[in-house]
Amino acid sequence: MKQNKSVWLGMFLLVGLLLAIGVTRSGSVQTQQDRIDSITSHLACPTCSGESVFVSQASAAQAIRLEVARQVSTGTRTDDEIISYIEQRFGGQVLLVPRATGLDSLVWSLPVAALIMSLWFLIRTFSRSRQNKPTAPSAQDEKLVEQALAESMTKLKRS
Amino acid sequence: MLASAGVIGTIGRALLLVGFVGAVFGAFAAITGVRNNEPRVIRLVSRFAVLAFAAAVGAFVVMEYAMITRDFSLAYVQKVGSWSTPPLYNFAAVWSALEGSILMWVLILSGYTLAVCFWMRKRMNESLAAWAMAVMMIVLAFFFLVSFFPANPFAAGAPGVLDGPGPNPLLQNHILVMFHPPILYLGYVGVTVPFAFAIAALVTGRVGEGWLLATRRWSLFAWGFLTFGIALGSWWSYEVLGWSGVWAWDPVENASLLPWITGTAYIHSVLVQERRGMLRVWNISLLVATFSLTILGTFLTRSGVLNSVHAFSESGIGAWFLSFFAVVLIVSVFLIGWRGDKLRSPGIIDSPLSREAAFLANNVLFAVFAFIVLLGTVFPLIIEALQNRQIAVGAPFFDRLTVPIGIALLTLMSIAPVLPWRKASAETLQTRLFWPAWCGIAALVASLALGAYGLAPLLTFTLGGVSSGAALRQVVLATRRQGLRGLVGRANGGMIVHLGVIMIAVALGASNSYSKSQELSLVTGTPAFFAGHSFELIDVVEVRDDRSTSVKARVIVDRKKTYEPAITKYTRIGMNVGTPSVKASLTSDIYLTLEPPVRQDSGTARIKVFIKPMITWLWIGTGLMALGTVLAAFPGRRRRPTEATSALVPTSEQNAL
Repeated sequence: MKQNKSVWLGMFLLVGLLLAIGVTRSGSVQTQQDRIDSITSHLACPTCSGESVFVSQASAAQAIRLEVARQVSTGTRTDDEIISYIEQRFGGQVLLVPRATGLDSLVWSLPVAALIMSLWFLIRTFSRSRQNKPTAPSAQDEKLVEQALAESMTKLKRS
Repeated sequence: MLASAGVIGTIGRALLLVGFVGAVFGAFAAITGVRNNEPRVIRLVSRFAVLAFAAAVGAFVVMEYAMITRDFSLAYVQKVGSWSTPPLYNFAAVWSALEGSILMWVLILSGYTLAVCFWMRKRMNESLAAWAMAVMMIVLAFFFLVSFFPANPFAAGAPGVLDGPGPNPLLQNHILVMFHPPILYLGYVGVTVPFAFAIAALVTGRVGEGWLLATRRWSLFAWGFLTFGIALGSWWSYEVLGWSGVWAWDPVENASLLPWITGTAYIHSVLVQERRGMLRVWNISLLVATFSLTILGTFLTRSGVLNSVHAFSESGIGAWFLSFFAVVLIVSVFLIGWRGDKLRSPGIIDSPLSREAAFLANNVLFAVFAFIVLLGTVFPLIIEALQNRQIAVGAPFFDRLTVPIGIALLTLMSIAPVLPWRKASAETLQTRLFWPAWCGIAALVASLALGAYGLAPLLTFTLGGVSSGAALRQVVLATRRQGLRGLVGRANGGMIVHLGVIMIAVALGASNSYSKSQELSLVTGTPAFFAGHSFELIDVVEVRDDRSTSVKARVIVDRKKTYEPAITKYTRIGMNVGTPSVKASLTSDIYLTLEPPVRQDSGTARIKVFIKPMITWLWIGTGLMALGTVLAAFPGRRRRPTEATSALVPTSEQNAL
């Protein structure tokens, strides 16, 4: 048993170590195109219905793509600055990701609240199940069981 | 002109009315028959089901006839019909807008009603079956009514129209338009069957496990088609829409995902009720949620309140669906409250380390998942109502919140399949998880060796390894014991579905994290290079037919395969549609789109190249899920009633001996 435990401990350590290597190692370098794609997928196309600038083929979306590409290639602004710039030009509805301020923040906080509530529900259910140890059946219970068993056995025999 | 409009339109409308009357009378016959215990009245139910089905088929055929003969006297044909649409797409044009898609809903629902009626023909005298038929008939009557009033496909159009624009260009350039909507509807509408039985169980008070076992295959059938329909939609998005993605979190996609999520939760939690008699209220609530989400989703996406690429932006129908949604919810909640006593579960969960506890955790996660998708979908409406301000909630929001849920679900999929019912000891868990854990480590090592990085994808791959180990363990043990029979039944078929899900999760993890893209300006004769591939433009050609003009760039990739990304201008609608060119392989797809503006014979073209790893595994995983669903529908090994987990109560079969 002890040996078994150390094997598992070793496995968890190995996984932790490997994950740490994988997380810290740098992936492929982010190209300008990657930046353009990531920025445009955070922007809603202003003229089409619900598509992002990255997805849409509408001309307004193309115009925004070109503008984002231009700003990325000059390299002076960060992704967030470019998004804010486009937002200023077209208004709040071009943002595909709601800001975490004001009423909009509910879209972020409600899911977290739901998750916490459901975890609390799970923990409560499980802790209740621990307290609920089966008690020994009373004499009356046993009598009932015997009665039911006898009844069903006679029924079985009859059929 | 008007006279001919009269004929086709009148026949169609008359058929819808006949269907409505048939459904209402059918519901009436079922209810009065079973209440007064009159077998003769009950026998009428199946005749009314046949009548309603015949009327629906008739109405659909009339609509197809009008579309095929281009009867422009109908407003609907004016909207989506055109002489220039090729026959196949013209056939599919019937369901390419609101009225026709409601008609298809009517057709499929009447088919389900008839099928359930046929299946229950010998048990129609039982109150449960009769009430279930009544519920189905009432829902069917509602849809006949919607098709007759607010979404009437047979309404007369403006006189003098001789040709129309045809369906939306996106609905006439890929063969999948023939399959994706009907298959999705088979799933979407199919959840009505288990819902009807759940309501019938509440009404009759027979809330035990009988109705669950009876409708198990129907639920599985609907769930399977919903899964397959959603996957076909993703494939369509990938092959047609040209942004290289499979899922855009568009409101209509979410409307089909929501019932899938609650339906998936249901097919798991129902096992707990079958085995332990617990979670009765929860299971009924899940079915009510699944059905009402199909109605709510239809309201959200078909009433024009939400913007979406799929939306048909019609109003008038919204009030109908919203009212129906409210009625469904109020009636169901009332019934659940009324039967509260009978629904109280006899059992309790003994230990958090048990299969029922894992199913409970699974359900909680799926509930949160559904909540996130629903919240994100309706949130713009809430903000608009409260602050009169337009906002959008898009893919990055959903991605950020659902990835952790997905990883948590994968964790459960790793542990749950090896857990026994009631209670597991730590030792059992350690022994049973030993090989799955090594599978996980192997997957992690392999993905690191292939150059993977980042926490979320690496966790996905590792947990994918563990969970496939856990699923394979079950299948291997079962086949070792029972040979090929170890592949059927819900536990074994379910594990094959799991393997498909894991493939999809891994493919999504890889393709979302490691896709690369680049815009290239190509000039004939000079190859360009990206990500180790060469791209050489041959020429840019124009192809015309009588509905469109398309410009194609022919590009040779790696000196081997010719890609032909195109932009097609649909002249009648004045819309440009890009058509990507994709070549798939098991490791990664190369996906080319042509970027506007393009000029024929200019010798230059701007293309966008996407390198998408592992996309093919999405489709293989879907196939495996479909296979597993079919296997799960076959009866598995019979459980002997003397087994320790089953009570010693003589069943009716034993009595018959």
